[in-house]
Amino acid sequence: MFDKHPIGIRRVFRPLAFLGIPALLPVFLRAQEKTPAFQVDPVDYYGSRFLATVIIIGIALVLYSLIRYRGRASGPLAWGLLIVGVGLVPAASSALGTVLVLERSEKVQFCESCHLTMQRYVDDLRDSKSHSLAAVHYQNRYIPDDQCYACHTSYGLFGTVEAKKEGMIDVYKYYTRTFKIPVKLRHQYPNNDCLKCHAEAAKWLTQHGDFKAQIFSGELPCMACHADKNPPHTLKY
Amino acid sequence: MNASKRIDFDSRLSRRLLIVAQLLALLALGLGLQFLWNTTGGTVFAFSTFAPVLTGIATLILIGTLIYRFRKRHSLFDKATYEPGQEIFRQGDEGECAYFIRSGEVEVLQDDKSVARLSSGQYFGEMALIRDAPRNATVKAVSRTEVAVLGKGNFLTMLNLMPATQEDIMKTVKERALSQTAR
Repeated sequence: MFDKHPIGIRRVFRPLAFLGIPALLPVFLRAQEKTPAFQVDPVDYYGSRFLATVIIIGIALVLYSLIRYRGRASGPLAWGLLIVGVGLVPAASSALGTVLVLERSEKVQFCESCHLTMQRYVDDLRDSKSHSLAAVHYQNRYIPDDQCYACHTSYGLFGTVEAKKEGMIDVYKYYTRTFKIPVKLRHQYPNNDCLKCHAEAAKWLTQHGDFKAQIFSGELPCMACHADKNPPHTLKY
Repeated sequence: MNASKRIDFDSRLSRRLLIVAQLLALLALGLGLQFLWNTTGGTVFAFSTFAPVLTGIATLILIGTLIYRFRKRHSLFDKATYEPGQEIFRQGDEGECAYFIRSGEVEVLQDDKSVARLSSGQYFGEMALIRDAPRNATVKAVSRTEVAVLGKGNFLTMLNLMPATQEDIMKTVKERALSQTAR
């Protein structure tokens, strides 16, 4: 039955299997990495594998279509391959990829990838001898994951949007080499970003209870007392 | 765009455009793979900014070509004019329409050798439609030539609906096939 069709189904899928299976190997190999379950982010773990599979299938389809038809779209199968390979798969991978972009751009490793500007801050974060605010928070796991993002993003949707927007500007500046060293915050570090975790905590109330009203109103910035333990003030380039 | 210009839009160009669309899609998918493999500011920026743009352009090319091909296949005696020396189609191209010469003269070439000349009242391009195969010859205008173009769908419908025309065209196809075999 298959062979009656001028371009048999078997003739299509055999080369696809040859193309696709070796291409998928790296994904399966990466999936073998042993990571404790509690350290696995399910969105990143399953999302990235799913997206990689979709992308590799898309690449295999486009390559097959390119080699087999060379731009000649003379039948429903050729058009089907084109629509799936050129339209649907790239669109789906862009949409799925956006979820992973948002997810991965929150990781410390992502911030660290801008070595020239961020490496020193991340090194400080991991330095067991450092007493900077960031290092204390990171090493005591006061914030379990995505530590840079957690402290530099304000609450709510707009905080996240603002952080992503500013992050994209930073990436642009980094790759166009228009950044200035030492890097500085665009605006004073907002009290709310400390208070979202610390406010009303028993230890915090003991130490800050007398200034609570001023700190809550922003009249007294947190950094007025804590700036000396902040990397921008201690790191030397 | 008038009918003549629409038909002059070369089918080879649409083929090249489809290849470009596929290459753009490959690039977009490659950016995705690169981002997955090594997530840095650069790969995130490239993937989230360029991949949707590349995908959009590729999709637009695909849709445009699809519409163009559909319209060409379903053209109903659109008129087209070719200047002397201009190729109407090339051997190996896809067959999407048949041409009926209204005025002028065309030369039929197989493997760069002239095999026939056709003039007013005659037609060409029918074999690829009937056999559902690529063009088996190149056709060039010898003088300024005006043709009526009939899309594949309408051409095949015409054959079904008009037995006399079908008989005439099949006879021509047979004669042309025989002379091709003889060569």
